[in-house]
Amino acid sequence: MWAVTNSAIAAAAFLITCVALHAVLPFPEIDGGVSQKFRFFTAHKDEFDTLFIGSSRVYFQISPAVFDRVTHESGLPTHSFNFGIGGMYLPESDYLLEQILNLKPRNLKWVFIEYDELPTKWSSENQSSRRALYWADWKRVSVLLRKLTDSGTGPRWLPNPAKLRDIILRQNDETNTRSLLTFYAAQMEKNYANVARAADVLDYFLGRDTKGRRASYLGVANDGYVTRPDRMAPSQVTAYERGLADAMAESGTRSLSPYAVEAYRQCATGVRSIGATPIFLITPSTTQINIAIENTGLPGVVMAFNDPRAYPSLFRSSARRDGQHLTKSGAEEFTRIVAANFVELARAGRIK
Amino acid sequence: MSFVEFRFLWFFVLVFIVYWAMRYNTARKVWLLLCSYAFYAAWNWKFTFLLLASTTVDYFVGQMLGRCESPAWRRFWIATSVCANLGVLGFFKYFNFFVSSGSDFLAWLGLPASVNTLNIILPVGISFYTFHSMSYTIDVYRRKLPPISNFVDLALFVSFFPPLVAGPIVRAVYFLPQLVSAHKFSNVDVRGAVMLFLAGFIKKACIADGVAPTVDRYFAHPANFTPMSAWIGVLFYAIQIYCDFSGYTDMAIAAARLLGFQLPNNFQFPYFARNVSDFWRRWHISLSSWLRDYLYIPLGGNRGSRGFAYRNVMVTMLLGGLWHGAAWTFVVWGALHGFALLIHREWIRLTEGLKWAARAMRWFAWPITIYAVCVAWIFFRAHDLGGAGTTLKQFVLFRGGGTEHFHRWMFLVIVGLVLIHWLNSRRWFAESWRKWPAPAFAAAYGCTFAVVLLFVPPHYTPFIYFQF
Repeated sequence: MWAVTNSAIAAAAFLITCVALHAVLPFPEIDGGVSQKFRFFTAHKDEFDTLFIGSSRVYFQISPAVFDRVTHESGLPTHSFNFGIGGMYLPESDYLLEQILNLKPRNLKWVFIEYDELPTKWSSENQSSRRALYWADWKRVSVLLRKLTDSGTGPRWLPNPAKLRDIILRQNDETNTRSLLTFYAAQMEKNYANVARAADVLDYFLGRDTKGRRASYLGVANDGYVTRPDRMAPSQVTAYERGLADAMAESGTRSLSPYAVEAYRQCATGVRSIGATPIFLITPSTTQINIAIENTGLPGVVMAFNDPRAYPSLFRSSARRDGQHLTKSGAEEFTRIVAANFVELARAGRIK
Repeated sequence: MSFVEFRFLWFFVLVFIVYWAMRYNTARKVWLLLCSYAFYAAWNWKFTFLLLASTTVDYFVGQMLGRCESPAWRRFWIATSVCANLGVLGFFKYFNFFVSSGSDFLAWLGLPASVNTLNIILPVGISFYTFHSMSYTIDVYRRKLPPISNFVDLALFVSFFPPLVAGPIVRAVYFLPQLVSAHKFSNVDVRGAVMLFLAGFIKKACIADGVAPTVDRYFAHPANFTPMSAWIGVLFYAIQIYCDFSGYTDMAIAAARLLGFQLPNNFQFPYFARNVSDFWRRWHISLSSWLRDYLYIPLGGNRGSRGFAYRNVMVTMLLGGLWHGAAWTFVVWGALHGFALLIHREWIRLTEGLKWAARAMRWFAWPITIYAVCVAWIFFRAHDLGGAGTTLKQFVLFRGGGTEHFHRWMFLVIVGLVLIHWLNSRRWFAESWRKWPAPAFAAAYGCTFAVVLLFVPPHYTPFIYFQF
């Protein structure tokens, strides 16, 4: 009996310490500009009324300066910040948005959220980074586990039996699913147990977060936008145009999975809870071309720029770095179009 | 499944609760056997059949050795066991090495041969459980142990999960008597075991995995680094391999203790050894004593002429090196230790009775030993002999290398860790915690583990000895 009691005391002490440490530790030091942007935004949270959040397709393609200039000229002045991070998709973007909203930015009115599928795979080289760890709480990991086991988004967690069989037997498309389930479960455990958080203290004392490093992520205007001027090589142009033609030739559209939609719904609810408006943004990218924008079921406007016929200038090879990204001039043009659309929708009363 | 992963915690909690909830010894042994196979299957379930086959062969050989009195038949059966075990080990571990080395040798002779290597997966821990299993048949052959009639006992001995994949190498004569009667939980030193587990966890997860990225960075491209950084790379590797392996051993011993079993000690502050012989009495003790008893002494040991004894030392160390891995770097590592042992023996012989030599050795014995051990580690860690040569030039001659360098404060890390290790050897962290009231100890343990996790890197680095 004593053994059980002492085990319970040890377990309770462990859990209490983990919870206490989780509460007092600062936002972790994460690569790719996450910490730098978060710290900057925390310090200037009440200065911005518009926020863009998403992957590199937001980071390198939305210029807050251009956006604010267009909105100002159109009589709807904004002050925006680009919170794009290279490789940041759901559920990481959902977690980061939640942390931003927890700061309660008083003047935030519009939050542009990149709209894309919820990926479940992490490349093996990135699995060991802290970037793959800091967002892994129950809310985020449960969505991933539900998608991996095809359990639906309802209140009851019922895995698809056929999928479960394939996962156990590692057959059909599920050869790696078992290891992914283990990986995400372990990430969540590590996250709650504050694994590796001492590195933040070390980073602080070693002064790794230098001015130059901060500037490289925040951009020259401190608005979170960094330009990427390079263009495609002629050989890349051919491959790009072929890929674009193939994507345009595909018939039909594809909807996002219910798990992604559920995650975006949660994002929208969070944004609305602080009195701001969520706007979902589909960027001009060859992999986004056929994403369906009708009947998304989302409580927010979807602004789509994924149609090469409607926005040919954004898909011209001269405006692109690759299938996913635009050049500097392409990015500025894209931002102008986004801003003009935004003003139009606001005037029409579709964005409040 | 590794000891430092959360899933091992859940696995062990389940094993522990069910094990101690069972009343009968047979049921407990069957439970542990099932759990050990499940533990091994977590890497690759297909190789559990190899484990079972190896056990079955040795069980059968043990039975036949028990029935035969004829020396010729006994020799036949022990040869069968040794050939079967070493054959499996040789195929999985050394086939490609010997084929490619043979091909290289023929090419060197001007007889290029087109050979195909096989895509062989090395079963985790094969070197360890092969030696576990062989110790049984050899001891039965030597009549040190009666053949075991209960297959479950032998299967559990070979597959017992704490030492299964990276030791310590357990001998049948040490372990099998522990299976005779049921253990009592009241006899388990829970406090000592959980503290040992924590110490092993810190060594592996915090220290070894903490220095691993620096070591990997250096040994990936040694030519890019300055000689000073080569020193940091090599010394960090010496720390990494000790903390990695002894950390695993500590956790294995602790896990076994919590189930009521004792495993042999594997390390005794090896980096404080004052000569290479002493080093091998403190480093991977279960392997060095296994090689001594089952290889060196059967070869003739110290009997016969000095040259004969020296030959036996070299053969033992070369095979010991090859046991670690199928690469020439491991052979060179074994050879270097063999030479160091011979030099030490010659030194003892030549300076016997000389007071100045004894005085000099009081000052120089430890630095010379640790330096020799570190030089040998270069071959153990290097990707190939070329890389080892580059590091050796930087480490020994302070020459060559590029411009990349590590922070000098990393030397402070080394000094700090050595100091902690030294204090530990002086029993500074002695067992004062044993006197604490049980609830206070439990609470402090839980808090400490939570704090320790802060220092664990986000990535999990596999145990170095898993590859052997």
